[in-house]
Amino acid sequence: MSLSSLAQQIHLWLLGHMSEQWTLVLEMIIAGILVISFFAVLGLVLVYMERKVSAWMQIRLGPNRVGPKGLLQSFADTLKLLIKEGLTPDGADKFLFNIAPIGAIMVSMLLMAPIPFAKDFQMWDINIGVLYVSAVSSLSVISILVAGWSSNNKYSLLGAMRSGAQIVSYELSAGMAIMTIVILSGSLSLTEIIQSQQNGWWLFKGHVPVIIAFVIYIIAVTAETNRAPFDMAEAESELTAGFHTEYSGMKFALFFLAEYVNVFIVCAIGAILFLGGWMPLHIGEWTAFNHIMDYIPSSIWFMGKTFGLIFLIMWFRWTFPRLRVDQLLKLEWNYLLPISMINVVLVTALAILGWYFK
Amino acid sequence: MFLINYIKEVAAAIGSLLKGMRRTGYYFTHHKEIITQQYPDNRDHLNLPERFKGEVVMPHNEANEHRCTGCTACELACPNGTIKVITKFDITPEGKKKKAIDKLVYHLELCTLCNLCIEACPSDAIKMAQTFEHSVFDRSQLTKILNNPDSKIMDGVE
Amino acid sequence: MGIEFSDIIFYLLAFMMIGFAVLSVTTRQLFRAAIYLLFSLVSVAGIYFWMEANFVAAVQIIVYVGGIVVVIIFSILLTQQAGAEMPKPSLSKKLWSFLAAGSGLGILLLQILKLQLGTVNAKGALFDVKAIGRELIDIDTHGWALPFEVVSMLLLASMIGCIVIALKPGAIIKHEMKES
Repeated sequence: MSLSSLAQQIHLWLLGHMSEQWTLVLEMIIAGILVISFFAVLGLVLVYMERKVSAWMQIRLGPNRVGPKGLLQSFADTLKLLIKEGLTPDGADKFLFNIAPIGAIMVSMLLMAPIPFAKDFQMWDINIGVLYVSAVSSLSVISILVAGWSSNNKYSLLGAMRSGAQIVSYELSAGMAIMTIVILSGSLSLTEIIQSQQNGWWLFKGHVPVIIAFVIYIIAVTAETNRAPFDMAEAESELTAGFHTEYSGMKFALFFLAEYVNVFIVCAIGAILFLGGWMPLHIGEWTAFNHIMDYIPSSIWFMGKTFGLIFLIMWFRWTFPRLRVDQLLKLEWNYLLPISMINVVLVTALAILGWYFK
Repeated sequence: MFLINYIKEVAAAIGSLLKGMRRTGYYFTHHKEIITQQYPDNRDHLNLPERFKGEVVMPHNEANEHRCTGCTACELACPNGTIKVITKFDITPEGKKKKAIDKLVYHLELCTLCNLCIEACPSDAIKMAQTFEHSVFDRSQLTKILNNPDSKIMDGVE
Repeated sequence: MGIEFSDIIFYLLAFMMIGFAVLSVTTRQLFRAAIYLLFSLVSVAGIYFWMEANFVAAVQIIVYVGGIVVVIIFSILLTQQAGAEMPKPSLSKKLWSFLAAGSGLGILLLQILKLQLGTVNAKGALFDVKAIGRELIDIDTHGWALPFEVVSMLLLASMIGCIVIALKPGAIIKHEMKES
């Protein structure tokens, strides 16, 4: 049974028991609870994954004491964060200080809405999916700026300002990279972009320009999610923890969770745009191979691709050293932006001339 | 010219980044390389590196002989006064007086394990041991006498 | 049961919009004013989403949120007391600004009431992205090709200008000398 048929059955069952309006309200509540529980599970899994990946890349063992293979380590950490006191520093702007982490997590929740997790299984099939994602993701910088400023701490303010400059400039090249796929598929809707990859993913169909766009997208979103090597906003060794220096307990946990959920979301978008989302891997005329691939559920395809990209971003984090601020801006304005601008022109020519694999 | 340099620069950057990723990727897939020692668990078969420095000891052979001439080179080399050489004069069979050590006092609580005394020693009388479980209940237990009681200098060591 | 859930959402968004707008002008802390303005603008975007004008809503967020980021950065960078309470404005200042705002509202209301807006039931159809795109590059009487091209040339010029300034070899050499 696929996820979409399950959702359909719940919908029909609810319709049979109550009016249309209450069905809608109840479905909203169900979706909200699902999103929150998905957040919690995602946070636990990604933190454990990050710690294991980092350990193995640095020839260490990683968490291995709590539970078998350290699987319960994230639970223990969450429990600790839950029972910790949430301090509000003296001299902080209390209202903004407390609202900033909520804002961060709200933006992540909004971004979860248009993502198709499986075939015909998404919360909101918005017709401008890609534009919506890039618009709402730019809201995340606000909560960082608010957090950094309202903490009344110089480290926090410096981190927030760095993050502001970084996100504003890297959004440009991320947008350009997304634009290449929009040009090729001719649609802003995530569903239609996935449909356009039925006979092959854009990464394979689109020749070199799409590969360049993919590389630029991965670099730009690594910067946008404030992860190493672009983590100057929270550089532990320079700014203690940047914009969340003053946060503790659950408020800190919300920032932490929002960061990991954002990583998941940008990787999911990357998987949708370049790797075909839930589309199974099909190779030309190999019908037998294609049939076998079709048997794997679409949700597994989606999660597999997304976690592959997440692993790639973690690989970056544990390999490369942190950039300086001037190097960061130089990378964007000297390299990524000019290359992606020329790349967009190339892709437009490709799309008009029809030189990609159809 | 500018364009060629630009492309070269980008290619070199990507190349070096991939090189780094290959190294970490190698470590990620080869778990045999892991160097973490899960210390209290593997206490019986600890695998310490050769150059691990635990404390200064003076090796003795079966006949209770050491190689220390009492030259105080180690005492002079020590930056923080960890070693104190107390000398005495032995009477050799020929009736001559000869300088020898009475006690070589070693303050483990002061030692930074810098290895300077071992390098200064002309007769290789002291060396670094690999023991590291040094915690005791009384500070005075950390002051050690390195030469065994009634030990003699080895023949042939001047 | 005259009220539908969607009406509740509409009034919620509308109250949020107006409330945050009022807070934004009455607060005496610069930074908070910027944040309240942001909330107000996001509520406007919410109303667009409620109307299923998704494209307009997304553009609202992109344009105004980007603007707010710049406002915040400038309000922190260029003023030393972004969080300090500003002095209370004088009575005449209050009166004049109230008058200016009131007259603006009056003119708008006059025009809106004169128009006699009917109910339009064309949810979504009016805001199709493809239709908007066609309109933007249409060269017929109702098309927007010229302004669109002018604006895009301007933006492209500014972006290329940024790159040229960043790529200027002199700047880089000077920079690297400073580093070493």
